[in-house]
Amino acid sequence: MKNTFLLVGFLSVILWSCKDEPEPPVTTTADVNVSFNALWDDQPFVMQQVYMDDFGNRLRADKLMNYIAFVTLVAEDGTETQLKDFMLLDFSENNEISATLPKGKYTQLKFGVGVPRDYNKDQDPAQYPSSHALSVAGSQGMFWVWNTGYIFAKFEGKCDTTGTEGAELLTPIAIHAGDEISYREFVSAPFVLDLTSGSKSMRVNLHIDEIFSPVNGNDVDLAQDAITHTSTNPELAADFMDNYIAALTVDL
Amino acid sequence: MRWWSLIACLLILQACREPAISWPEDRPIEVKKPQFFPAFDYPSDNRPTTLRVLLGRTLFYDTRLSANGTTHCGSCHVLSAAFTDGRATSPGMAGIGGNRNAPTLANIAWMNRLMMEGGVPSLETQALAPLHDSLEMGYNMMHVVERLNRDGDLTALAKKAYGRDSIDPYVITRALACFQRTFVSGDSRHDRFNLGQKDHMNVAELRGKELFFSERTQCSSCHSGVFFTDMDYHNIGLSLVYTDPGKARATHKAEDVGKFKTPTLRNIQLTSPYMHDGSMSTLEEVIAFYNQGGVPHENRDVRIQPLNLSDQEQADLVAFLISLTDWNFVQNKDLLPLEGR
Repeated sequence: MKNTFLLVGFLSVILWSCKDEPEPPVTTTADVNVSFNALWDDQPFVMQQVYMDDFGNRLRADKLMNYIAFVTLVAEDGTETQLKDFMLLDFSENNEISATLPKGKYTQLKFGVGVPRDYNKDQDPAQYPSSHALSVAGSQGMFWVWNTGYIFAKFEGKCDTTGTEGAELLTPIAIHAGDEISYREFVSAPFVLDLTSGSKSMRVNLHIDEIFSPVNGNDVDLAQDAITHTSTNPELAADFMDNYIAALTVDL
Repeated sequence: MRWWSLIACLLILQACREPAISWPEDRPIEVKKPQFFPAFDYPSDNRPTTLRVLLGRTLFYDTRLSANGTTHCGSCHVLSAAFTDGRATSPGMAGIGGNRNAPTLANIAWMNRLMMEGGVPSLETQALAPLHDSLEMGYNMMHVVERLNRDGDLTALAKKAYGRDSIDPYVITRALACFQRTFVSGDSRHDRFNLGQKDHMNVAELRGKELFFSERTQCSSCHSGVFFTDMDYHNIGLSLVYTDPGKARATHKAEDVGKFKTPTLRNIQLTSPYMHDGSMSTLEEVIAFYNQGGVPHENRDVRIQPLNLSDQEQADLVAFLISLTDWNFVQNKDLLPLEGR
């Protein structure tokens, strides 16, 4: 009898030791952080600091905001993962998106600058909860109430276009771009963002100096035009948005 | 001791926020309209109920919707003037004055797009426009929300009417729209005449009616249908240069410069001055303008041509327009501010 107990005990120990050790859960996702940054000559752009553009105009920004839509990373097999539906970038603050994605290699970032037609034309911001970027509260004034639609990008400030050294900046800048003519889609140059081994960060840079420059093919010369509410000067709104898109780069 | 004072103060403040009014149960209502008016499809999320209309009526006359607390919707949309205000342009909260003549809100439920350039698709979204316009109420919806949520009675009413946790932009815009959709005007002498009560129009008015609907004047080609508007946009040759571009403000198209939405002519007797900028004081002046044919702006509608009307014919047209006044509408006490608020 005593031996039987010993045998059972022994077998139990054997069986117990044969049982698989619990394995740590396999992580199939990784975090990515995307920050959006304004630069001037590759240095952080400072609101209300005076800069000189390629046309010789001195300018400062008091407000620089724009909507981005459907921020998406494209994997090397072409699979697309959306990080964010809508976001209002305010360059007087930090602008970051944090998201969790399937592990893998990603090769492109794309997003709309502005609000696509289906979410813009005749839409009612009061339909969204206050936490949403397109809501009355979330839009922070980036909405035309008399011609229902969002202001896609807003650059407000002052400039001096006389070329006089030390002159006070007296000319207002008010570039309010919206409506369908102002919507643009950004697709980054190819890159390799390796999310197989862990979390990563990436930076989207907006080179403000390239907006107020002929370098991207459209003369946004504040001496010629400094104010548009899109309908009042659609050409300036369109040129501003074309240059905006061309002035975006991505750093890993 | 100071803590007790603080707690007492907090209790008093809290008591101030507690609703003093016990609102009745909400129930759906049917807004009365003349049989000859087309049916109206309410937005699925904003069908009229007693409390929604009541809330909208309260908000419509609430000065807390303006930045300095002096102006409400009814400041520029006065019932006795068929919801206009008798001024060329309204002074607004700051007393600066806007750019356009306050439009009538009569039968606003049936207007397909709002604002003179048609930039706003619904009454719900339109509520944001005067509220945010610095020349009108000069405020911000989120500040209005903050102000109104301090009012316990109003918050309780809003919760009961829309079933939401508090007053928010959704509630404010919906309630204002709901109230405005009760602004139904279809009981003029001309309407009664058309319904068979032939003694409601005199001979001069009938002569004017015939002219109005004639090929000769073509008034009714734009001022058409039961609302006397085709709800389209026309340049009538009011000016050679338009400081207000009208529809072009929204479309950016040169061919839309100077085009404004055709206004309804119902209650036109009470809605002077006329034109988008309130530049004409009397109906006689308006008819004389159309008789002359306007000025040759490149976008002027081809139908605007000299009419060669006699003085008598012009007077008859004015008489007809006066027969479109609905005196019951402008004396409807249900459209006035609530007593005690």
